[in-house]
Amino acid sequence: MILLQLAINGVLLGGVLALSALGFNIVFGVMRVVNLAHGDFVVLAAVFAAFGFAQFGVNPLLLLPLTIVAGFAAGALIHHVLLRRLPGEVASAEASSLTLTFGLSYFLTGAGLAAFGGRFVSVPYLTGAFRVGEVSVPQARLLAFVVAVVLSLGFALLLRSTALGRAIRATSQNLDGALACGVDVDRVRTLAFAIGTAVATAAGTLMSFLYNLNAQQGVLFTVNAFAVVVIGGLGNYTGAVIGALILGLTESFASYFMGATLAEAAPYLLFILVLLFAPGGLRGRRAA
Amino acid sequence: MKRAAVPLAVLAIIALLLAPLRLNGYAINLLYVTVLSIALAYGWNIISGYAGYFSFGQIAFFGVGAYATALIVVNLHWYWMAAALAGGVLALALAIPLGYVMLRLRGPFFAMGMFGMAQMVRVLVTAVPATGSGSGLFLPPGSGITEVYYWTLAICLGAIALTVWIDRSAFGLRLQALREDEQVAATLGVETTRAKITAFGLSALIPGLLGGGYALFLTYIEPDAVFSSRLDLQSIVMAILGGLGTVWGPLIGGLVMTQISEALWARFPQIYLMIFGGLLVVLLIALPRGIVPALAARFARRSGA
Repeated sequence: MILLQLAINGVLLGGVLALSALGFNIVFGVMRVVNLAHGDFVVLAAVFAAFGFAQFGVNPLLLLPLTIVAGFAAGALIHHVLLRRLPGEVASAEASSLTLTFGLSYFLTGAGLAAFGGRFVSVPYLTGAFRVGEVSVPQARLLAFVVAVVLSLGFALLLRSTALGRAIRATSQNLDGALACGVDVDRVRTLAFAIGTAVATAAGTLMSFLYNLNAQQGVLFTVNAFAVVVIGGLGNYTGAVIGALILGLTESFASYFMGATLAEAAPYLLFILVLLFAPGGLRGRRAA
Repeated sequence: MKRAAVPLAVLAIIALLLAPLRLNGYAINLLYVTVLSIALAYGWNIISGYAGYFSFGQIAFFGVGAYATALIVVNLHWYWMAAALAGGVLALALAIPLGYVMLRLRGPFFAMGMFGMAQMVRVLVTAVPATGSGSGLFLPPGSGITEVYYWTLAICLGAIALTVWIDRSAFGLRLQALREDEQVAATLGVETTRAKITAFGLSALIPGLLGGGYALFLTYIEPDAVFSSRLDLQSIVMAILGGLGTVWGPLIGGLVMTQISEALWARFPQIYLMIFGGLLVVLLIALPRGIVPALAARFARRSGA
């Protein structure tokens, strides 16, 4: 029975991890940028939601559309003003995008601390649990899982059947080919970064009723997102969902069987093993 | 310009050697942290700047050096510099098999793989009872900041000398060749695996040696303090800001960053992080190749005109 409970916890955690990783994956897929500020967008949205709930009693689900729009606008602005200006052909292009998003991460952490302080906060929302036999399903986690699945499906639909989705997929697969076919790559990148940020802030809003967070916890979500995406294959969207489930289950089982301290190492171990033995991810094509 | 450099360097070294005699506690601490960060940046610059393997995990070797030193001093009662030397050798010994495995990865995969590796080492250190687990280890008092400062300064100067040598040597050329295109370099007869692992080893030895001094400086160590991702990222930013894969990049970047960071911290403690991050972004947009290459380009243009 305990195994079933652990599996359910793992799957529910995996759903949230999948949503958080989705934004990271879009940005990497389209732009080949490892966005080190990803987790900070997640955390900032979470802290903002907790602040809104504590001060004005706003339901975080009502805040969801607002944070998505704000995340989209912030992402578009950041890409248009900053990332676009990075030189593409310098040998250190990868280094400069890493450094830029690292600086951005510090900026967001600092802004979050200045605006909301360093206290760990969360939204005490849907704290109950459904009980089925001896297994309990926490309501907040279930809701986050469902919203995460809906948002992920929405994005899959966008990728599959719209012109923008085709342009995004084309740019991920072959930059020169996309350019040759007349895709406005600059616009696609701006939209991809904006969508990536919007997904991150949406995930963060849901995180606010799962975790106690302050503005400094961003790196945790960046690492988790990276691990999920590497396990699933960078730029591979179906793979990332599987990666998230694997990571969620690993965390859930490891923390029960190995204790909290060693369990912390489990995702990293999994992540490095996948990197070494299946560098294209479990489902992905071989990465360049 | 070139002729003035040697006496200038000698003067700077003499000033750094005499500094502890003149400076008070706060200033010497600040100087120590500056020299430490610059030395870490030089260590990182070899594997990541010259060889182009961007690592987010070199701090693991710093932590290993710190813990090895603390354990040897506490249990075997060695003189701390001997223990710190052993810590550096241990870091090097670990780096060779680790490099053999990890250097198969490339680009962001290597970068994040090394990040994961560093986290794993941190967790493993926390899990071992001999290290005091997560609660840390106390070192016996006695060695002052002055000793630690001289040790760190010596390693920093050594790292600079090593970088000057690498920059002019065939080894350095091999590293740069594999940075630009590993396959072409291999085709031209560069033993890429050997060159990479040597560079990785040097980039582990330097933080490994520095870690022991840091343990003595703190007098109490715990995993989060010595496997500090902030110290790691700070040294990376210094090297990039100064100029990736250049001899003087880490030094110039380190000086600029510690000055800015100190001035901001004193004036705006509330929004320090925010300004620091924003400034980094602006500097990167303005000088994408770093300060040293930008200055070099300007001098070249002036002398050409």
